[in-house]
Amino acid sequence: MQRIPVTERPNLSALAVEHEFEYTPGEGISGWDESAYYQFSQDQIENDIVKPAEELEELCFQVVERAIGNEEVLVRLGIPEYFWLYIADSWRNGDKNLCGRMDLSYNGQGPAKLLEYNADTPTTLYESAIMQWQWLEQAVDLEFIPDNVDQLNEIHERIVDILPLFNIDGVAHFACNHDFEDDKGTLGYLEECAKEAGLKTRALTMADIGINEQGRFTDLDDQIITTLAKLYPWEWIMAEEFGKYVPESDVQFIEPPWKAILSNKGLLPLLWGMFENHPNLLPAFFEDDPAAVDFANAGTFVRKPMLSRQGANIQIVKEGQTIFQSDGPYGDSACILQGLQPLPNFMDRHPLLGCWLVASKAVGICIREDKSLVTGTTANFVPHVILG
Amino acid sequence: MKHPHYLVTTLLTSASLFALTACEEPKVDASIFENIEQCMGDPLLTEAQCRSSFKEAQNQHAAVAPKYATAEDCQADFGAEKCEPAPYKTTSGGSVFMPMMAGYMMGSMLGGRGTMMSQPLYRSSQGARGFRTAENRGVGSTTGRTKVASSATSRPTFKTSTRSRGGFGSSGRRFGSGAT
Repeated sequence: MQRIPVTERPNLSALAVEHEFEYTPGEGISGWDESAYYQFSQDQIENDIVKPAEELEELCFQVVERAIGNEEVLVRLGIPEYFWLYIADSWRNGDKNLCGRMDLSYNGQGPAKLLEYNADTPTTLYESAIMQWQWLEQAVDLEFIPDNVDQLNEIHERIVDILPLFNIDGVAHFACNHDFEDDKGTLGYLEECAKEAGLKTRALTMADIGINEQGRFTDLDDQIITTLAKLYPWEWIMAEEFGKYVPESDVQFIEPPWKAILSNKGLLPLLWGMFENHPNLLPAFFEDDPAAVDFANAGTFVRKPMLSRQGANIQIVKEGQTIFQSDGPYGDSACILQGLQPLPNFMDRHPLLGCWLVASKAVGICIREDKSLVTGTTANFVPHVILG
Repeated sequence: MKHPHYLVTTLLTSASLFALTACEEPKVDASIFENIEQCMGDPLLTEAQCRSSFKEAQNQHAAVAPKYATAEDCQADFGAEKCEPAPYKTTSGGSVFMPMMAGYMMGSMLGGRGTMMSQPLYRSSQGARGFRTAENRGVGSTTGRTKVASSATSRPTFKTSTRSRGGFGSSGRRFGSGAT
């Protein structure tokens, strides 16, 4: 694994327009940095990323299997009681899952460690699937990079191939909070994939969704929603006014309800509890677990809210000293403690490696770099290649 | 002949509504039952499958059934005592009527999600006497296992009236982006 500086393509402002990203002269495309790329060997990708990610997915499924029948676990994850049976049914029915991104700490040697699993509302999908691949092709054409490079990137093809297996009949609705370009862009891309897969689609905001007398969800044309692809976290849905209608709504959700168990950072102590010392796992404990006391007393750990996003409210303690603390709106959430596996340092950047799983198959990589140890909203996407 | 499945401001008064769909198209496996008991008579179906598919059809019933402005118009199509008030009002506050559910059709693993998709059926008092879907597609008069035109097995179009909106979105306003 190397970080290799490279010439940026000369037409970045035009590319920003093409992909509907912000562009600032002198700074480039917002959230995107192609002044360098990461290079991996085939062996690193196959044996250190793809295999472990798919194995971790299997372990996650075992956690779900255990959690759905375990009241104590469900309470700990903060899942409201009225959702328990609904989640269990969705798992037992085999409701299909589409996308997830495992965030890993990996430096090119030794096992990648799972930091968290963004199993419900993962983003940077478009950058990973489309922009990164286009960069590879054009950078080869421009002779900026060797022409025998490859990329782990079958995200688009896999999504388009798998969607027909969801047996979506009628219109598939796509909902998120349209105030955020990132959310809208990611979901818009998924909608494009769905169209390519031959589905009829319609987009709306979460706040647009209505309810009828029979407890069915409706769109702005009073059409009943039967399939809803959402970029809106399950924990929010469960906490909001219309959440109570969800279990009887007869909607096929993408991601399915059982993903609520995996997108919660409570997954990490559950994984550790079941598969302690697995090479791709870090020790992790619920903060209110007696075992967490000894772990914290040892002085080095990361404290994360169970439900937070984009690097908010994370604390890193090293040898008894807080070396990093981010603020954010999730300060009231219950927390977990996790072992510290600092992101590696390449040219003063800290790459976080995301492995994309589409229908549980590892088909893509995204690297986001931040200048801090915790990857937040200031991170930039950096493309990758496979060589040798 | 097109039959609206919902009321906006105008209501149909026409009594003749069922047109025969004559053209041949591929047939697919389906099961038609008048009630749960009949369904349970099928050795390959469990009671749980029968109950859930009946419930699924029943849940769709009010939303997808043909709607009429008067009980008489409805009865003209479906027969005396075969109609019921629909849980809707016209925009001017009038009552709405719809046929009672006469049965339900389970596709043969038509749907995903590990269950068989189900939809309500209606029975006309005139013309061809078999079962019809909410979209007015004939599916024959055989109960139990049968073959129906594949177009009849697609989900009926749901159009309904919305009671309220805005019950989702508050967390996004508080926390920001939902992306991870």
